[in-house]
Amino acid sequence: MERMVQEREAGATVRSEPILSVRNVHKTYNLGRVKVPVLHGVDLDVAQGEWVTILGASGSGKSTLLHLIGGLDRPDKHTNEPASMRFCNRELTRESKRSLDRYRADDVGFVFQFYHLLPELSVLENVTVGGMIKHGRLGYRTRCKEIVDRASGLLDRFGLSHRLRHRPAELSGGERQRVAIARALINEPNLLLADEPTGNLDLRTGESILDAIIEHRRDAGLTLVMVTHDERIAAKSDRVIQLVDGRVEEA
Amino acid sequence: MLAMAAVMLSVATILITWSVMGGFLKTLIASGKTLVGDVAIVWPNVGFAYYEDLIERLEADELIDSASPTIETFGLIELPDGRIELISIKGVEVSSYSDVTGFADTMWWKPIDEPTSKDHEGEDIRLDPQYRQMFEGMQANGLSMTRENLKTGHIEAAGVLGIEVTGLNDRRVWGGYYPWSPNRALPNGGTERLDVFMPRDGSVGLTILALDSSGRPIDPVTRTIPIANEFQSGLYEVDQGTIFVPLDVIQRMLRLDEASKVEMVRDDENPFEIQVDPVTGEIGPKMKEVVGVDPARVTTVLVRGVDGAELEAVRTRVREIYSEFADAHRGLVPDAINMQHQIKTWEDLNRTMISAVKKETGLVLFIFGIVSFTTVFLVLAIFWSMATEKTKDIGVLRALGASTPGIAWLWIRYGASIGIVGSVTGTVIGYWVVLNINAIHDWMGRTFGLVIWDPRQYYFVEIPSQVDLSKAVIVFVVGILTCVLGAAIPAVHSARMDPVKALRFE
Ligand SMILES: Nc1ncnc2c1ncn2[C@@H]1O[C@H](COP(=O)(O)OP(=O)(O)OP(=O)(O)O)[C@@H](O)[C@H]1O
Ligand SMILES: [Mg+2]
Repeated sequence: MERMVQEREAGATVRSEPILSVRNVHKTYNLGRVKVPVLHGVDLDVAQGEWVTILGASGSGKSTLLHLIGGLDRPDKHTNEPASMRFCNRELTRESKRSLDRYRADDVGFVFQFYHLLPELSVLENVTVGGMIKHGRLGYRTRCKEIVDRASGLLDRFGLSHRLRHRPAELSGGERQRVAIARALINEPNLLLADEPTGNLDLRTGESILDAIIEHRRDAGLTLVMVTHDERIAAKSDRVIQLVDGRVEEA
Repeated sequence: MLAMAAVMLSVATILITWSVMGGFLKTLIASGKTLVGDVAIVWPNVGFAYYEDLIERLEADELIDSASPTIETFGLIELPDGRIELISIKGVEVSSYSDVTGFADTMWWKPIDEPTSKDHEGEDIRLDPQYRQMFEGMQANGLSMTRENLKTGHIEAAGVLGIEVTGLNDRRVWGGYYPWSPNRALPNGGTERLDVFMPRDGSVGLTILALDSSGRPIDPVTRTIPIANEFQSGLYEVDQGTIFVPLDVIQRMLRLDEASKVEMVRDDENPFEIQVDPVTGEIGPKMKEVVGVDPARVTTVLVRGVDGAELEAVRTRVREIYSEFADAHRGLVPDAINMQHQIKTWEDLNRTMISAVKKETGLVLFIFGIVSFTTVFLVLAIFWSMATEKTKDIGVLRALGASTPGIAWLWIRYGASIGIVGSVTGTVIGYWVVLNINAIHDWMGRTFGLVIWDPRQYYFVEIPSQVDLSKAVIVFVVGILTCVLGAAIPAVHSARMDPVKALRFE
């Protein structure tokens, strides 16, 4: 397999073997009898520690692709060539529901386009809930202190230490997004999938959030796949790809 | 919250209903037992002889406390207002009958010191010290079944009448009686005021059909019987249709007393002659008349076991003793084999009544069960809407890696905790209501004028109730299961939802 990873940013711990390798992924939504084809054969490789930005018009299937990579959804099965999504040495398309659940809990951090915080939980709980899911209720109890410390550490770094007990509804959009990022990072994932983390924010807030992510990536050697519309953000990343007509085009 | 209230109410209602119905049954059964004793030996109509020997044999046994001979029959009673009614007549030997049954306690007209539980105003005339002496006399009369004839000064045999028979006792809201004097219709269209108080100066006319030695009814016999007292057993059917009469009086009336008799026996000297029966017209072998002594008979011997004796064991023992007795009087008393089925416990005797109430309880429970079944749907609907409301959050949790069973478990635990809280409070409330049901009922009557359980209609003064631990536990567990069941379907549904769709849910 030919690799074409360009090591643009020296500071990042970019290595050449792909942590994620997506081949021939199709996705079609069924709206009643109408079929909405979104992805037609996406091929994508992401190296360990790499930061890949996905650009694309609205409705081009960026979120859909992230969902597939994140194991929230599965690619179409009925194509001539079967889809393949390899993560480390696992073939995600062949994994059971249960192990996809584990994959999401252990290996992936998800930052959604629309925050998706749990309104009834406090900021701190919104972050620790990820740990609770990963370790189970009992496991969480034994690691409670460790997880809470980690969560408040993350929130501290994102400038939310004074907001731990607040409900999401009491926060601004930027603050909510930072909470969502902290939640995605609580389990120290290998792969962070961020769907327009700055999309709803003004430039300055967006930048500060981006800085937070970048800083964390540098520290943790995190692999980052990010969807954005913002060319300036895209320019900072290792590599930019474009989704056009359901396929990947390298920018 | 709503689901919890629903569970709580259902649990409480079922527990209350079950307890009240159960208590009703228990009271009824206890009342049914009052005048029967433990085991009865019954040979209806013609009765059986040598009962004194049988009683002696019975009382000699260590399992048996006492036994009493009685006669049970039916007759017509003429009441002071001229009405004639069918009545069940029990001829009893009052002292032994009181030993075997709770007869003495059922005597109504007696002095009392404390008002009965519902008589808050102390309206009961039996409380009145002014009448104390009179009631003492009546109580003594009842217990000896005699009354002094006020005109002649003679002590006469007297009966004890069911308190509801005459209609001269007005049943009050507080559950007791007040004697009153109604008007009696006269043939000329006028009325006449009846001024009788049965245990003081009332008497009834009793008409029964005497039986010949083969059990066929012959002439009706009528006697006037003064009333010594009135009884209340707690069973309306009994209290409005029963009179107790001294055993010897009824034996004489029925011609079951000891007497010389004329009996038709087969004429063995002329075995081939025939005759036509004058009553039936049947042709049979010629009979001849023999004169002898017929011992007194009773239809029933009631037996009471020693305290703590098992009912079935007492019956078995009575059967054994009867067999010995029948052997000793072979041919003169009913065969042991025929008698086996006539020796019954009081439960057997009251079986139809008991099973009727049991069935009723079952029916009511069934209906309430269905009502409570709707609680499952209520819980289901409430949980369904909660789950729908939380669709997005569930999608988030799924996206964070929560498994399908994990989410389902979350809901079921929630349902179970609602069920537990609801059931606990429901059980506590139900228990409390049952324990205080009479107080609550009184309060309702005072505050809202709402009287559901009117002692004038229902025969029990108090609303009977009992809380069985086993019942409470069953209701409690079912309450929790209901909730879990109601939560399970939405739980599985929401947990199985496609997380991507859930996240898009608005
Ligand atoms: N569950 C679904 N059912 C039907 N159609 C869907 C579903 N999810 C997405 N689509 C459709 O697939 C297409 C791609 O959607 P997607 O959310 O991936 O776009 P996107 O590139 O993320 O757009 P945006 O930049 O606006 O977020 C859209 O046309 C959308 O209508
Ligand atoms: Mg999108």
